[in-house]
Amino acid sequence: MTMTFTDIHMPPRLLAPGGTPSGHPAQVLRRIAESGLTGRGGAAFPTHRKLVAVADAGRRRGRPPVVVANGAEGEPASHKDRTLLRLSPHLVLDGLQLAAEAVDAGEAYLAVEDGATSLEAALAERRDRLPVRVVRVPKRFLSGQSSALAQYLSGHAGLPRDQRPPVREQGVRRDPTLVQNVETLAHLALIARYGADWFRSVGTPSEPGSALCTVYAPGRAIRVVEAPFGMELHRLLPLDGVGAVLVGGYHGTWLTVAEAATRTLTADSLGAGVLIALPADRCGLADTAHVLRYLAIESAGQCGPCLNGLPRIAAAFRTLAAPGPQGTSRRDVARWAGLVEGRGACHHPDGTVRLVRSAFTAFAAELDAHAAGRCTAPDRSPLLPVPGNRS
Amino acid sequence: MTDDAILWYANRATGAVCLVLFTIVVLLGIAVRLRGRLPGLPRFGTVSLHRTLSLSAVAFLALHITAAVVDSYVNITVLDVLVPFVSDYEPFWLGLGTVTLDLLLAVLVTSLMRERIGQRTWRAVHWLAYASWPIALFHGLGIGTDAGTDWMLWLTVCCVAAVLAAFCVRLAHAARESRLTPAELLRSAEHRTAERAHS
Repeated sequence: MTMTFTDIHMPPRLLAPGGTPSGHPAQVLRRIAESGLTGRGGAAFPTHRKLVAVADAGRRRGRPPVVVANGAEGEPASHKDRTLLRLSPHLVLDGLQLAAEAVDAGEAYLAVEDGATSLEAALAERRDRLPVRVVRVPKRFLSGQSSALAQYLSGHAGLPRDQRPPVREQGVRRDPTLVQNVETLAHLALIARYGADWFRSVGTPSEPGSALCTVYAPGRAIRVVEAPFGMELHRLLPLDGVGAVLVGGYHGTWLTVAEAATRTLTADSLGAGVLIALPADRCGLADTAHVLRYLAIESAGQCGPCLNGLPRIAAAFRTLAAPGPQGTSRRDVARWAGLVEGRGACHHPDGTVRLVRSAFTAFAAELDAHAAGRCTAPDRSPLLPVPGNRS
Repeated sequence: MTDDAILWYANRATGAVCLVLFTIVVLLGIAVRLRGRLPGLPRFGTVSLHRTLSLSAVAFLALHITAAVVDSYVNITVLDVLVPFVSDYEPFWLGLGTVTLDLLLAVLVTSLMRERIGQRTWRAVHWLAYASWPIALFHGLGIGTDAGTDWMLWLTVCCVAAVLAAFCVRLAHAARESRLTPAELLRSAEHRTAERAHS
């Protein structure tokens, strides 16, 4: 990465912030509504509805809301948020100011895992109405979950809490809180600048606009690319010599290569924006077992089904990933998956179950081969990145 | 039998009933916390039994107190019922009963308002229930007319033994729970599956 020191000899002009008109909040809100922008943190929730809900909660309860730009990219395979913050910090900060104005916020935060120093330098170059505090959050899978983030910013441990009351009503120190992914805020700034029609000029009518994706293609460096919704997956990700594709990150879905060839980029499948092509000579079960182990350790350990279920699922899946006798592991995993689903305060168990079930479908043939005592993949070393073993 | 004698018997009887009922309520409360299941009842039955019996116990406590106040043989005022250690009659032992009532009132009111005040506050106040049980026990031992009788002695011993046993189970559970982390559970689960594969 190149360090930029733009303010040493003169105030920056070329690399200066600005360009986004600070339009009237009502006008900004209307444009966001017309644009059809959805959140880019994984849940694809309509941004306009969230803004309106937070603004309402603030007025109703007489407490100015808090806005949080969420750059806590806990997903180990995702790089899009940190890349965006490094390349276009001012676009995100513009969006943050616009969102703050739209909900009439009293406080603003930018939450990141690292790179806080250069972001503080970028903030010093600006003359914002609302000062923004950069907060470094712990590097954990769940740090970016909106209630975990609100808890952390309130001075508690950064763990998810019960969804009632929702963060939009009572988030950071019980104030109404808007948590938006940094990419969503960047889109928001561009929509304020160029209008809803410009935004809708790419993508599909039902899912307008574009999204940042972290793309893992075999034999190539990891890339962050921007792609419009509705684009065929095989154009983003060459599928030659690929065995399976993981769409959406570690809470996402495994697709067989035949399925992937028919799919397009959609907001609800994209999740955290991760697209991984698993080369045909790798064992998808070994990789999934590796990731499940990580997801089990990253459970906040607060809800019984997640605390007890995920480690059991991970351990049994490890048996399935090794060629040889499997006992009742396959049935156990399927049963436990049903028992943990929908029974957490956050969606960690649900996302994990999604990965497990899709692996069962996409690697069904490989599972049978393992049960018969052989693995069809010559290379069994895991490919998917998992942060250092903390167990 | 005179009216006063009836009140006196009623007071002693309800006192003993309160001891038994509140003991059962404490045991059920611990069972709820341990997510225990009573034979013949669905799992939510433990919670509703705890709730129903605690309300019945409060009703008996109200009778116990009313009988004591109305009884004119000893002078106990309404003020003595609510403010501890100010009564003319046995200020210390009666005061312990008053403290119990105050604690239980806090537990009762917060339980009725649980939806409103939130889980965290409710739970903090609910811990007081554990404190109220031994205080009430000492109140009974110190002031109870029947404290010296054999049947009351055995009843008390049984109640104390039951609550102590349940409390030990509760402590062991808490100690085990604090050791439960996802990483720890993963390690033991992997250990188990590896063993099963070798056997």
